[in-house]
Amino acid sequence: MTPRRPEARLVRSYVVTDGRAHPTRNTLDLVTLLIATTDLSLAGLNPEKRRVMEVCRHGSLSLAEVAGHLRLPVSVTKVLVADLMDSGHIVTRAPIPAARPSDTRILQEVLDGLRARL
Amino acid sequence: MTEPIPQAVTWALAAALLGTAVLLLRQHGITRRQRGRNAVLADGVRAREEELRHLVTVRLPALADHPGQDLPGIGPLDTRLAETEFGKGMDEVLARFSGAVEHAQARADQSAKAALKASMRSIQALANEQQVSISEMQDRHDDPDVLRDLLEVDHTNAQFGRRAQAIAVLCGSWPGRQRSTSPLIEVVRGATSRIRDYRRIRVHGQVEIAVRSRSVEPVVLAIAELLDNAARHSQPNTTVEVDVQSVHNGACVVIDDAGVGMDGHAVEHATRLLSGRGEVDVTRLDDPPQFGFAVIGVLARRYGFTVSVDTRSPYGGVRAVAFLPTALLTQLEPAAAEPPIDLTTQPETTPAPGPVAAGSTTGSAAEGTTEGGLPKRRRRVPKRQDPAEPQPVEAEEVPGRSPEENARILGAFARGTRFGRSAGRILDEEEYVDAAATGAAGATAATEATGTADSARSTAHKSHEPHKSHEPDENEGTHHA
Repeated sequence: MTPRRPEARLVRSYVVTDGRAHPTRNTLDLVTLLIATTDLSLAGLNPEKRRVMEVCRHGSLSLAEVAGHLRLPVSVTKVLVADLMDSGHIVTRAPIPAARPSDTRILQEVLDGLRARL
Repeated sequence: MTEPIPQAVTWALAAALLGTAVLLLRQHGITRRQRGRNAVLADGVRAREEELRHLVTVRLPALADHPGQDLPGIGPLDTRLAETEFGKGMDEVLARFSGAVEHAQARADQSAKAALKASMRSIQALANEQQVSISEMQDRHDDPDVLRDLLEVDHTNAQFGRRAQAIAVLCGSWPGRQRSTSPLIEVVRGATSRIRDYRRIRVHGQVEIAVRSRSVEPVVLAIAELLDNAARHSQPNTTVEVDVQSVHNGACVVIDDAGVGMDGHAVEHATRLLSGRGEVDVTRLDDPPQFGFAVIGVLARRYGFTVSVDTRSPYGGVRAVAFLPTALLTQLEPAAAEPPIDLTTQPETTPAPGPVAAGSTTGSAAEGTTEGGLPKRRRRVPKRQDPAEPQPVEAEEVPGRSPEENARILGAFARGTRFGRSAGRILDEEEYVDAAATGAAGATAATEATGTADSARSTAHKSHEPHKSHEPDENEGTHHA
């Protein structure tokens, strides 16, 4: 047996995006969180967009995760998500900012305290 | 004394005259008959010459164009010659000539097909390779400008691959490319991916039907040819409407274009090609070559679906209907149902070696549909004790795979082997289902084994694998027996 190669996608990316490569907005990045709005009908959406809505329905997901679930390139997913944002199906939230780096002094004090106790 | 002499002379003269006259008369008659016969013979010779000229200038060329057919109006000039030796000789010449032409043509066709097939296969392989590289590049690059170019390249490559594939099919090759079972909508959209004007195609309809893996590629190719025809023969500002419907005996893909339509003669010609009955002569495709319908015909005949183009579309163009019978279809399965089952059955598998001996006797119990993985596992355990030859080649690859993938691979392997053996016969549904079930069973059992086996037992685990890979073969044997 030859080593298996990943199966080529049956539906090519240009059909998924209808030939477009540029998302309608460039505010999206890999960690943008996507949240599906539940009150809009899915009629008129292509299967990939429906799938985006499906995976986002259970809670917010990052764009990178959505791309992974759909097995689509991130750049193609961006085009889809931008469309869904235009139609109001998806709202985004900036990623949760990382916690402020802790003060080394406090850490040192904690460490000292622990050492003293043990 | 002198007197009787003149009398005798007179008598003699008279007799001589009479004789001469009789002779002359006879001669005259003979000459006339001879002349008549000569004329007949000359006519005969002229007729034969004419016939021969006719043979060389009309009948043989006509025969060269259409060998093996009796052409009306191109028979012998003079039917009286047919019974003669000459006529029979001419028939013999014609028969031999026709045989020689047919033989030469068959050989030319065969070698043309063989050469085309080989070159198209290599082109197809290159197109596939290129498609993989393009996909990888799409995954790697995040820049929309790069993506735009990649999409264009991908699109051209897909059309290019389809062309090569179509010609290869026409030359008697398989469509190639093993695909997994795919939803019918995806199949239609996959076909859309391979034509130039993909943006004009609108796909409607929601069906929960999937196309079996063996038929995916041929159906994609046939529908792509239909869509390409529809888009090519209609105005660029019109759309091509595709409707996917589930019908009683299968599913239909209805393609409507708003194009020029086809006249009666064209429909007749297309229907003949779509039936796939006539031999396709690759040396006689038009220029530019038009082989769309011929390709669909070949695929439809080989895989058992039908395509018709004899109705008018409500938009004024052609309505093409591809009917896929139930044998090519399956229901869409909800994905990822197995993994939780694997987790719950995991603790039970460790004490399982106890009923091993019983397992071999209760082979029929394994077929019972008890919930959980236990019965499936029992079925595998007795086989592990069989002194089967190990197949170490497959053992190297298995550890990294997910259970679904294993199921798919084993199922495909079993199906493929059986299909190859039955050489072109379309499999029954039961056989497919059985193959899938045994493949899944083997794979589930395999996952349980991998789940319980820790690193210390990894060597023991390795030794099981040959049996896993062997399993489809055994199941297959029972099917045949």
